[in-house]
Amino acid sequence: MTATTSSINPLTAAGIPAAVLQALAAAGLTAACLQCRKCTNGCPVAARADFPPHQIARMVQLGQVEELLSSRVIWECTSCQTCATRCPRKVDIATLNDALRRLSRQMGKVEGETTVPVFNDIFLRTICRHGRMYEMGLMGSFKLRTRRFLADLGKFPMMLWKGKLVLVPPMVRGYWERRRLFRFTRGAGGEVR
Amino acid sequence: MSGYMFYPGCSLEGTARDFLLSTKAVAKAMGMELPEIPDWICCGSTPAHQSDPLLALALSAQNLAAAEGRTVAVCCAACYSRLKVANHEIASDPAVRQQVAKAIGRDYDGKTPVLHLLEILARDVGVKEIASRVKRPLRGLKVACYYGCLLSRPPEVTNFDDAENPTLMDQVVRAAGAEALDWPHKTECCGASYSITDVSIVLSLTRNLLAMAKAAGADCIATACPLCQLNLDLRQKDIEQKYGENYGLPVFYFTQLLGLALGLSAGELGLRSLVVDPEPLLAARGLTSDETVTHEVLR
Repeated sequence: MTATTSSINPLTAAGIPAAVLQALAAAGLTAACLQCRKCTNGCPVAARADFPPHQIARMVQLGQVEELLSSRVIWECTSCQTCATRCPRKVDIATLNDALRRLSRQMGKVEGETTVPVFNDIFLRTICRHGRMYEMGLMGSFKLRTRRFLADLGKFPMMLWKGKLVLVPPMVRGYWERRRLFRFTRGAGGEVR
Repeated sequence: MSGYMFYPGCSLEGTARDFLLSTKAVAKAMGMELPEIPDWICCGSTPAHQSDPLLALALSAQNLAAAEGRTVAVCCAACYSRLKVANHEIASDPAVRQQVAKAIGRDYDGKTPVLHLLEILARDVGVKEIASRVKRPLRGLKVACYYGCLLSRPPEVTNFDDAENPTLMDQVVRAAGAEALDWPHKTECCGASYSITDVSIVLSLTRNLLAMAKAAGADCIATACPLCQLNLDLRQKDIEQKYGENYGLPVFYFTQLLGLALGLSAGELGLRSLVVDPEPLLAARGLTSDETVTHEVLR
């Protein structure tokens, strides 16, 4: 989502690296936030979050980005976009969180408990390889990487019986083009693979 | 009713196979053709936009470009959101369009129309047309229509319906003869893909949905998103156990309910794939056996 408000940025003086500033500006976060808390009132994970959305906006305004990069909330945000939809000033916290996630990874600040980055990497690797999601492969790799061998294991027979699991991986034509697409975009953006 | 190019999305080939079955069966019954976009690939979903904005746009753009300008029909709310965001970003920023063109190896203008099946049914086909084809009205069935978070957000991008109180699914469900309940959690989030990475989020959010649907007097829930359906249906037992509650709410895809009303069989609609068994409810409302249709037709 592009910035819809003016890009006055209060962070320049706060000693934040240029790359960080750029990413935050791209996420549409500006001085616009009024702390009305409409975002937090609608946020499905605000109650469990270490920093609720209105506080994320305020912390970025004050230059306290480091703390956010190692926060839990950026990995608990469900990307439901309730915050961005209801904000009277069009501050897009959902997209800001995407930027914070990338920075958190780039700067090695990812909060210890979360498995979301591992999941995301396996997901993207799977679709690069097969073209489409291969749920069995994804689950297998995820269990191996996170050592959560027992989680939901009991559901497998039932899901197979219900026809919800496909054992054979999909294979869409155009593997080399896909690989090029992934290489090109990952080169321009993040650094994962 | 034709001219659409269908983008099923990955879930419909896996955990949401019954969404695919029922969509195809309903389309056929409505005389609608849904040829798939050739060699369509994953939209990248949440992992792509969390990891790399350009990758997310390029994956969606490759599919949209392959539709060669024909309107793309989508079932999955997450795919729908990603394709719409890609269109919005590419059409509104020439620099983004150029970057995406480099990534996918062809220029794409961001102008291929994208519609959710609910928009097609409620607006293009129309509720009158649907109602005229109903053979087995779902009389007495109280349905909580659950849209999930992504169909209507952000509203300036998806342009789907009222962002806080969408009614397209309510209209389709009413055309099928059922009662669409007024309830406040139509667009609350179910926790989506945290079902795998942090299930505690999903259990608490999805519990709120089940509790509110029950409190509103629902017999069942209708969904338009594979992740919503999976969380509400597959996780329902876990939620009942964790919180010591009892819901017993069947969770349908809206296409399955519409298909029942159109006289299609449980097999054609993949009802067997539902985890919370819908048979007792359907039997109680006289909607189970395929003989019901025959009776009505004979009369």
